Amino acid sequence: MGRMSLLVSPELCIGCRGCQTACKEWNQLEGEKTENRGTTENPPDLSPNTFNKIRYVELPSEKNPMRLLFVSQRCMHCGDAGCMKICPAPGALFRTDEGAVAYDKDKCIGCRLCVTSCPFNVPRYDAQNKISKCHLCADRISQGLTPSCAKTCPTGALRYGDRDELLGLAKKAGYSKVYGEKDLEGLGAVYAFTDSPKIYGMSDSPAIPEAVVFWNNVLKPLSYLGLAGVAAAAVLHYVAFGPKKIEEVKKDE
Amino acid sequence: MSNNMIKKVSGLEILVHWTMAISFFILVISGFGFMFHMEGVGSAFGGFEQMKTIHNWVGVVFAAALFLTIFHYLPVALKFTSDDAAWLSKAGGYLSKKAQLPPQDEINAGQKLLYIAVLVLGTAISVTGVIIWLRPDMANLNSAVLLSFLIHNISFVLFLIVIPVHIYMATLANPGTLRIMISGTVPVEWARKRHAKWVQKMGY
Ligand code: HEM
Ligand code: SF4
Ligand code: SF4
Ligand code: SF4
Repeated sequence: MGRMSLLVSPELCIGCRGCQTACKEWNQLEGEKTENRGTTENPPDLSPNTFNKIRYVELPSEKNPMRLLFVSQRCMHCGDAGCMKICPAPGALFRTDEGAVAYDKDKCIGCRLCVTSCPFNVPRYDAQNKISKCHLCADRISQGLTPSCAKTCPTGALRYGDRDELLGLAKKAGYSKVYGEKDLEGLGAVYAFTDSPKIYGMSDSPAIPEAVVFWNNVLKPLSYLGLAGVAAAAVLHYVAFGPKKIEEVKKDE
Repeated sequence: MSNNMIKKVSGLEILVHWTMAISFFILVISGFGFMFHMEGVGSAFGGFEQMKTIHNWVGVVFAAALFLTIFHYLPVALKFTSDDAAWLSKAGGYLSKKAQLPPQDEINAGQKLLYIAVLVLGTAISVTGVIIWLRPDMANLNSAVLLSFLIHNISFVLFLIVIPVHIYMATLANPGTLRIMISGTVPVEWARKRHAKWVQKMGY
């Protein structure tokens, strides 16, 4: 199967947040009581009960004093996923056939290292300290269904499908910047932007933290190479010099 | 104590040493299990979740033993003497079959280096381990957790070089040394060959 993904087009989004509700409904996530913070953006952040949300970006300009962008936020299902790289528990985070980064709460050990390693600040924790985030509706897409959020979206701002097809679609529609095509070996949620990603509140070049990359590429192999090196050196030393000859030392004293 | 034996370390020091060594091995094995997703290691610890709990609490035991180790030799180990310079310049006599070393005191430069390395790496790995374990919820502290993760793993790699060297030195390379960490005593004649100055100070 080809890699599947979401295509997010903020210019088409009307901020109805049907996707937020649809996600809660499918995943049986409780609603959250929030406060009036002077904006209709709500809830304020992702949480263990909020896998996706529309971020409101207000960009008043002379030409358009009311310019509002609605940017859908969720797990990006990175091709090279920082969360999967660092996770110490096998099977806690895994990649589905469709390319989603899904998880198994029973295998998660609650160390929260994935939080540290995610370039998009996505993973959250439930009351049992287990990872909680968007899984691209792994249970739906494995049955050939569309993720709940995309299924609900009335404008086509959220679309699900074959990743290559969606990328082609976005380019054909003339979006100047297709975000996430190549970053992190390709994101599983690509964005059709008309402006620079910064405007939409996204980093220009998302990356897994250098400390994690260094650990993965250098320290991990060094940990057993060092051990093997010392073992080999000890054998060589033992053959070449043998145990310390104390008698000789004594003679000199 | 019989006349031809000399006491090198106390019973408490022996207990502390083996507490530290055994906890160290449990931590290394579980650490490898996490790093390389070793399912066999995971099930030996009763699953990865339980392995995390064990790793965390054995880390506390290790840190406690490490703390007690501070009192063993710290002032001695921090004093760099001309004997140490001579010892180091001849690589402790380990790279030659006929190197001559000046008489040594209680511990030689190599032992001092091991001791200091264990204290420094042990402190680094323990402190960063606690930070990763009890990581604060606030996202703005992510960089502190990342730095801790980095230091924790660098200390791990260095430990895996230092400790195997130590084990080789304490066993195969120097037959008879292991007795120190089992009974605490060694034959006076054996000690005189390695720690002449110290044996003299002790009045033998
Ligand atoms: C099978 C494993 C080990 C063996 C056979 C062993 C053996 C010994 C022996 C014989 C000594 C006494 C040397 C002397 O006084 O001349 C010693 C000292 C020492 N060992 Fe080990 N050791 C082992 C593992 C470890 C580990 C894992 C650590 C630290 C993580 C460690 C840290 C130390 C330290 C710091 C000393 C200095 C004396 C002290 O502070 O009590 N050893 N070891
Ligand atoms: S966005 Fe974060 S949580 Fe999602 S796959 Fe990428 S690294 Fe993992
Ligand atoms: S919290 Fe769970 S999913 Fe995240 S890194 Fe730790 S074990 Fe893996
Ligand atoms: S793909 Fe599914 S889990 Fe992810 S945000 Fe949409 S509805 Fe929620």
